[in-house]
Amino acid sequence: MGSEINRRDALKRAMAVGLVAIPSASVLTACATSSGGDKNKPVATGTKSAANPLGVKNGAPLEAFVFKGGFGDDYIKSAEAVYNSTYGTTVKHTGTQAIGPKLQPRFANNTPPDFMDNSGADNLDTAALAKEGKLLDLTPLLNAPTIDDPSKKVSDVLIAGTVQQGQFGSQAMYALNYAFTVYGSWYSNKLFKEKGWTYPQTFDEAIALGAKAKAAGIALFTYPGKYPYYVHFDMFAQFGKVGGKDVLNAIDDLEDGALQVDAVKQVVQYYEELAAKKLFLAGSEGKTHIQMQTDWTKYKAALVADGSWVENEAAPTMPKDFDLAVGPLVGGGPSDKLPFGTVYAAAGEPFIVAANGKNPAGGMELLRIMLSKKQTDNFTNTIKSLTCVQGAADGLTLTPGLASASAALKAAGDNVLNARIQDWYVKLNNETIGNLTAQLLTGQINAAKWIEQAQKACDATKKDSSVPKFKHV
Amino acid sequence: MRHGKYRFIIGFLAIPLALYGTLVISPFVQDFQISLTDWTGLTPDKHYIGFDNYRKIIHDHLFWQSLWHNVLLLLIVPIVTLAFGLFFAFMLNVGGRRKGSASVAGVRGSGFYKIVFFFPQVLSVTVIAILWQQIYNPDPEEGVLNVILKDVGLGSLTQSWLGDPKLALACIMAVMVWANVGFYVVLFSAGMSSIPTEIYEAALLDGAKRFTTFFKVTLPLLSDTVATGWVYMGIIAMDAFAFVQLMSVNNGGPNEKTDVVPLLLYKTAFRDNSQYGLAAAMGVAMLVVTLLFAVLTLRLSRRERIEF
Amino acid sequence: MTTETIDEVPGSAPRKPGSPAASATGWKWRRSEGGVLNAFSHAFLVIWALMVGLPLLWALWSSFKSSGDILSHPMSFPTHFKFDNWSHAWTKAHMGRYFVNTIIVVGFSTAGTMLFGSMAAYVLARFEFPLNRLIYFLFVGGMAFPVVMVLVPLFFVTTNLGIINTLPGLILVYIAYSLPFTVFFMTSFFRTLPTSVAEAALVDGASHTRTFFQIMVPMARPGIISIGIFNVLGQWNQYLLPLVLNQGDTSKWVLTQGLADLAVQQGYQGDWGGLFAGLSIAMLPVLAVYIVFQRQVQAGLTAGALK
Repeated sequence: MGSEINRRDALKRAMAVGLVAIPSASVLTACATSSGGDKNKPVATGTKSAANPLGVKNGAPLEAFVFKGGFGDDYIKSAEAVYNSTYGTTVKHTGTQAIGPKLQPRFANNTPPDFMDNSGADNLDTAALAKEGKLLDLTPLLNAPTIDDPSKKVSDVLIAGTVQQGQFGSQAMYALNYAFTVYGSWYSNKLFKEKGWTYPQTFDEAIALGAKAKAAGIALFTYPGKYPYYVHFDMFAQFGKVGGKDVLNAIDDLEDGALQVDAVKQVVQYYEELAAKKLFLAGSEGKTHIQMQTDWTKYKAALVADGSWVENEAAPTMPKDFDLAVGPLVGGGPSDKLPFGTVYAAAGEPFIVAANGKNPAGGMELLRIMLSKKQTDNFTNTIKSLTCVQGAADGLTLTPGLASASAALKAAGDNVLNARIQDWYVKLNNETIGNLTAQLLTGQINAAKWIEQAQKACDATKKDSSVPKFKHV
Repeated sequence: MRHGKYRFIIGFLAIPLALYGTLVISPFVQDFQISLTDWTGLTPDKHYIGFDNYRKIIHDHLFWQSLWHNVLLLLIVPIVTLAFGLFFAFMLNVGGRRKGSASVAGVRGSGFYKIVFFFPQVLSVTVIAILWQQIYNPDPEEGVLNVILKDVGLGSLTQSWLGDPKLALACIMAVMVWANVGFYVVLFSAGMSSIPTEIYEAALLDGAKRFTTFFKVTLPLLSDTVATGWVYMGIIAMDAFAFVQLMSVNNGGPNEKTDVVPLLLYKTAFRDNSQYGLAAAMGVAMLVVTLLFAVLTLRLSRRERIEF
Repeated sequence: MTTETIDEVPGSAPRKPGSPAASATGWKWRRSEGGVLNAFSHAFLVIWALMVGLPLLWALWSSFKSSGDILSHPMSFPTHFKFDNWSHAWTKAHMGRYFVNTIIVVGFSTAGTMLFGSMAAYVLARFEFPLNRLIYFLFVGGMAFPVVMVLVPLFFVTTNLGIINTLPGLILVYIAYSLPFTVFFMTSFFRTLPTSVAEAALVDGASHTRTFFQIMVPMARPGIISIGIFNVLGQWNQYLLPLVLNQGDTSKWVLTQGLADLAVQQGYQGDWGGLFAGLSIAMLPVLAVYIVFQRQVQAGLTAGALK
């Protein structure tokens, strides 16, 4: 809303106060939702050129509203600085948490910020936003030349899977997932060396290792009960390792009976056994992720299922000689569809540009800047995480965890899995199935019950017309 | 005179009513409208779908379970908080050793206690939740509560607290009580100290024990204050949102054993596919329940009895 | 009886000479009862004081520790004092600015709530006119509204009024949402006040408005103080309203927003030292103010309590 109080504003105010006397429903509606009003608000456009392929207007304001979580927001500010000096403006920057409740009314009001990092525990449902047409299709960005080498298109330099990760059932890419995360079981190389352990390749080996560790007073696993879906980072990918990508895709697509297959059974039974043998650190079910990481860096547990952000997040308590490493997915053995070495990795940290913002071109341009070598290097160096740009870690000195993650990714080759259920059906994965997993790991339910209930939950989601559905293309 | 009276009434009511109507009533009326639509909250478009959302809620066991948790909170938290408040206030004012001829006296250091007890009241919920997250840390060696239990020889009682489906809600209730008792201690002891000591002396000379005096003398004289406290505490308990959101595992877990309607509503409106219409219907349903509570309480409170 | 021994616990007040300890059996019996009660009260009071005090002390001393220390040795005293947590929270986390904002917002909104709440309550309590009951229940029913559910419509209303993301806007919203309890409380209060004084003033020719401000308000002072305390506490701790309605410039944030920010950040970046320093910064001045003014607070409540 402009600072200038014009006649229309004054009228609106008078109206709103007048409503008190006669709460007429129809007037209220008008007041509530037509306020987005300015449907034909000017969109800043400039002339396109080689240096400005997206046609950003010089001096046009740009608003960035970004999630300030594990990665902080300095890496975005660094890209904004470049934007500011190139386009003679100052990006209005808000770094914050609890993105959802803050952004939703702005979307409904048709006054969203131009550029957003829609991440964190309280983010908006990116899938729902895409379905509602609130997000800009970033295809022009994909087709634009990169900053470092004008002969290459942006889409050419992205790690495979990044584009798909931003698609929601169509060819349009609505989100650019900037950080590339390698998931897996993370451990301390130092601890493993000291105790003479080797990272397990199969369920049996893991259970044997668990017994050994238990004898040494160390739990095999710990997990954050506050966010039980952390366990899914391993578990769902293991469904794919044992049964092949099709099993995972069928689950993502909510196919009937997708969970009632042998691969799933084998994996879930493994977790049932871990629980029965008490190989999870006592009290895990009530911990936050920070408490879990602290126990783990104090060598109370050998393994945690986590993403590569753990190196940054657990840094305050991680001993200097911890020698962080990530292991590939543990599986059933040689009969698995995919070999040992398969990893779960996916682009995360979804950056979105509003479809009806004031400066969509500027939003895309800021992303283009973030994808330049200078910015990705900065991100990898300071955040200790990979970006979605190919070879972005080349020529950098990597920290132990990051080096291990990028080696695992390289070794995996094509055997990289990605469970889309985690971002397509957030509630189903995190809360509904998460609750079942929490019960499985505390031995309250067995594998058969988990599968039965989880399938039921998937079926219910499938039937629920209010949940937008997506399919692998 | 008559004319002046109405002008005065309108003059005095205009601003409060305008503020209240615009900022409280009108959003609620809008919410009721929204509850009849399939609005996502993300676009200006919505379609009227009649009472579908309400039908959905009626068949949603999670809604009923959450509402039950709200009812539990509403019954237990105010009662325990007020009981503790009265108990401590009584201790502070009457529990002391008699000095000279005075038959009742406050304990020594009652001023100090009143200050300390009040502490949590000046903290924001965020702070309280973080503090207690550490206290409830289920780790047997690091969790503050577990360590204390072990140290006093009750090691068998160590728990995973917020991670235990049977205990989680009680743990959150305990924190709500902890946070609010202080205010009522101060409020009630203010009330008690204004009861003339002669009344106590008369009661004690009649041979009444102090606990009898509490029920026969103190409580009846404080009933108005207690009723006010009850209403205020009821409001806090009904909106346990922040406590549950910040403290519970898995957002209302474990296994949805701590979910409350405001949290469910929040999740439905802002996260789970942005079903704002459905969330609004939950809000309306909850409003009905709360109004029932309010009417009941008002009927029971003495101040209102003058009125009806 | 053991009660007598408890009576003799070391450190208890010396028995006054001439106190009729054993003069009459009835007396004695009641006296020892007092002794039990005394020991009993002290035990409970001390336990509760520890339960309340220790967590806060813990937060305070944690604010001097490094994040790793807090997590690895939560119960230990700081090995060396780390003051940069504090300076960091003050400068980088802007706790100082949030503090000032909070005082401004709570100050004005409490004053506004008390003024408008008393005005409405007075009229509703003392005058008969059509719609009186309806308006009263409209206000009182507001106590039952779960604030969570109005967030989005309220966002539109405040946007339309052009008061979103402004401190005055936040003040108006706080006032509106504090009115239900205030009107409820003050209406009962005004009903209990004697009518004769006001009637005399009216007969003498004073206007209704003058009667209210010059006669009724001073008479209702204890009630107004009580409700003021309720409101200061309630508004100080507002969590959701500022989160959604004041999300603009961080320079306009209030304390709860800053703390929520620090708390979430801690979840991702593990800056626990900074968090506890922020907590302490938020908590200490309020405690100090309370300790200084606790007599007034209690006096206010005392007068309001038994009316």
